[in-house]
Amino acid sequence: MFKAKPMLKVELLCLASETQEMALLLARHGGFGPAGKAGVASGEHYRELYLEAAARLDKIMEYCGHHDAAPIPDDAIAPNERELAGINHRLQEIWQACSGCHEQETRMAEEKERLAMLRETYARLSTLAVDPARLLRRDGLLDTRLGQIPAGNLKRLGDALSVAGYLLTVFDRAGDQAFVVVAGPRSEDGQAANRLGGLLTQAGWRDLPVPPELRTDPSVAARYLESEHGRLEAMVADHCELRQQHWQQHALWLRQAAVLLTLARPLAESSLLGLSGKGQLAVFSGWVPEGAAGALKEALAERFHGRYLLVTHAPGPEDTGKVPSLLTYPAWLRPFTGLVKSYGVPRYGEFDPALLFAFGYVLLFGAMFGDVGHGAVLLVGAMLLHGRLAWLRWVGAAAGLASIGFGLLYGSVFGYEALIAPVWQSPMHDPTRMLWLAVAFGAGFISVTLLINIYNRLSAKRPGHAFLAGDGLAGLVFYLAAIAGLSGLLAGEGAGVLSAVTAGLALIAMATWAGREASGPVGERLVVALVESLETAINLFANTLSFLRVAAFSLNHVALTLAVFTIATGLDTMGHGVAVVLGNIVIIVLEGGIVAIQALRLMYYEGFSRFFAGDGVEFRPLKLVLQEKRSGA
Amino acid sequence: MHVYLNTRVSLFKSRLWPEAQVSELIDVSDAALPGLLERRGLRQLAGGYADDDPRSLEARIVAILLEETRILLRPLTGAARQFLLYWIGRFEVSNVKSLIRAKMAGESASATAARLLDLGYFTHLDADALMRAEDVAELMRRLERTTYAEIVRNARQAFEESHDPFILDATLDRAYYDGLIRRARAIEPEAGPGFGRLMADLIDRLNLVWLLRYRFNYGLPPAQVYYLLLTPGYRLVPSLLRTLVGHDDLAAVLAGLPEALARPLVGAAAIPEVSARLERVAMDHAGTLLDRDGHPLARALAYLILRESGLRDLRGILRGRRLGLPTGDIRLAAGV
Repeated sequence: MFKAKPMLKVELLCLASETQEMALLLARHGGFGPAGKAGVASGEHYRELYLEAAARLDKIMEYCGHHDAAPIPDDAIAPNERELAGINHRLQEIWQACSGCHEQETRMAEEKERLAMLRETYARLSTLAVDPARLLRRDGLLDTRLGQIPAGNLKRLGDALSVAGYLLTVFDRAGDQAFVVVAGPRSEDGQAANRLGGLLTQAGWRDLPVPPELRTDPSVAARYLESEHGRLEAMVADHCELRQQHWQQHALWLRQAAVLLTLARPLAESSLLGLSGKGQLAVFSGWVPEGAAGALKEALAERFHGRYLLVTHAPGPEDTGKVPSLLTYPAWLRPFTGLVKSYGVPRYGEFDPALLFAFGYVLLFGAMFGDVGHGAVLLVGAMLLHGRLAWLRWVGAAAGLASIGFGLLYGSVFGYEALIAPVWQSPMHDPTRMLWLAVAFGAGFISVTLLINIYNRLSAKRPGHAFLAGDGLAGLVFYLAAIAGLSGLLAGEGAGVLSAVTAGLALIAMATWAGREASGPVGERLVVALVESLETAINLFANTLSFLRVAAFSLNHVALTLAVFTIATGLDTMGHGVAVVLGNIVIIVLEGGIVAIQALRLMYYEGFSRFFAGDGVEFRPLKLVLQEKRSGA
Repeated sequence: MHVYLNTRVSLFKSRLWPEAQVSELIDVSDAALPGLLERRGLRQLAGGYADDDPRSLEARIVAILLEETRILLRPLTGAARQFLLYWIGRFEVSNVKSLIRAKMAGESASATAARLLDLGYFTHLDADALMRAEDVAELMRRLERTTYAEIVRNARQAFEESHDPFILDATLDRAYYDGLIRRARAIEPEAGPGFGRLMADLIDRLNLVWLLRYRFNYGLPPAQVYYLLLTPGYRLVPSLLRTLVGHDDLAAVLAGLPEALARPLVGAAAIPEVSARLERVAMDHAGTLLDRDGHPLARALAYLILRESGLRDLRGILRGRRLGLPTGDIRLAAGV
């Protein structure tokens, strides 16, 4: 639970003609994670085909609105390169048909939006004292156009048109579109193209169709809009039908294609990572959890009957930083791991902070939001979470329980402090004590994180960093000595020579290490050493003071409930009840949210950032799972 | 922030190559070249000197610039940080253009991937998904769902109407630099006149070179050229640009320039010459700003401009050497 599972480095040789089967077996076994350089030309081509085909299948499925897939038969085999090319080609044809429809649908949606705007525009245009039909006459003195452009381009287009002697006037706006009249002197040859070139196109211009009878008979515009609307609706209906037809026509084959692509995926993935070879031999390189190596050997022996060579050995120094981390957790801890992973993955051999996070987070939340009633509401609320938020259920429940626990310590139920006797004390009764306790907790927490970091560095065989760096032993010694000195000063006993000398020596060690690690000329190293060691020292104390917020929020919680009661006291019985209920809802939602974020912030920035780079590689074995839905850009 | 950034920039200054060192790079033997590059802090380039792929050299230069920008970004916050992040976003816009061009040419995803610059920490785009768009229209629609929506939106609309790659490229460039000007204007009052001068050198040069190129190489009408320029610019204000786009030859345009821009261009007869001369002036200004006390952001930008230009000169020299060009030609091209 505190470290990743031990891994074995694996090299698996097989016949090049059996790479697809081998990849499939490894995926079915589910314990082999490919790693290392890949270098088989045919594999790259296979992967390229797979990726193209998978992207097309995704788009088609998304377009058709279907994501169901057929199950994978146990004896199914992966497609070879030629078959994969065939699948890809057919998917391309289907997608081309679909994308044409998709593009047209997008345009129709834009057109519908535009029609809605036109409706209003025509209404305004008909009230102008201008006859559009005359205005737009081709034999007039003016070269006049009516159109729409993105409003953001108005100023630039107006200025540019003035260069050609044209004038731009806005007569209506709708959304981000502006409806404009552009007019200029008609040239002798009647061609404006020479003067404007592609200017209007460049500005996103779209002509505004104006029925010639608009002035004489306003109902013409209405009829025009109705007919356009009807035409669009019919087109949309046709397209919906076409989409359905596409699906019905290809559904069976698409489902089969999804299965075949799933079977092709293991080899495609290996071609990016871990598959190399020459001539008739192929080599799969990667990692297997020590505990799964036996099962893999059995599966290989059963399927390939000696036509392979499997070499496994423990990771060596050359593998530092490359070994993937396989982290397993008991069910109760798993809900918290999402929050740890959102920061990063621990390196192989590093301390896994999931347990520390779970306890630290819950403890900090409870301390900042201690109230039996509020905690109970959170607990019930969390248990009701479902769907996308279901993963938060147990985190919320644990936070609610911690809140109840601290509520008992503080003697607070929905802000009432007279209902139960506090097991300890209400935060407001001795704020100074709360603040000191918060700082002391912070100092302890930071010391623990520094100790973990020392362990991590030693695990990574970096004793210099472990002992001399600002986030190593030197930093810890400096921190503890400085705390001892400060405590002496505050107690009126002076900083103490031992503390000052120890802190000074530790600081020198930190600076020496920072200078040694920096690159560049001597001057640059000196600056880096000075700035970075001072920055580390200052940060240690700034981070400690960050924990003041734990006490501050516990006080804030009481203060907020007091404010609610103050408002409620001035109201009648009904008003009092409403104010107390609403006030408590606000406290639970707003303050609860803020405290949840603050506790997370403390864990991430004051805790993780000190010992946890989060740059480990998660162990990702080849698996036989149906095509995942891929996101767009 | 100011002290740290200033110190950092001053330390970085020693990484710029004076002319004598550039000259040494041209004259040194092939065997001694990697060692020389390594001693001058360009280990990344030394390793790849023998590499036959010229793009990898470009990628390594970009990696150096990104790493140094990342360090300079550390103490920056707010609008100043946004500006520098956007400044380095040029490389990703270049990736966007590569993606679009590759899609137009029907290139395979792997060939496209080889063209793209690896921007590491500064990457915003899921290039893998974008590469698999079926055509330009689909690609542009996907790009509109990224952080580059602002830059791509107009380009997509214009492209849909015209299907002209030139319009697409020009609109993308203009949209990017419009964004840069907007971000620069937000910090100019604080960053001081030196910063404004750097931006003026950059934007005025772009405006003049685009104007000349669009007007006389592509033969676009004045109104369209004006639309493609960056307005409001700096010394080339909109009213002046309106006049300049109406001229019929390069000499007339140059004659109409304000004194500060016209002086270094006396006798210039071709567009590349105009661009090179203005770039030299901009480098001189950046060098002067870097040597003086000034706002740290302005000095940081000056450093990045000089560093990029210096690295590109080095790239030219390395390529020239690899192609076996005569030393005199390389010296001429490098301007030493």
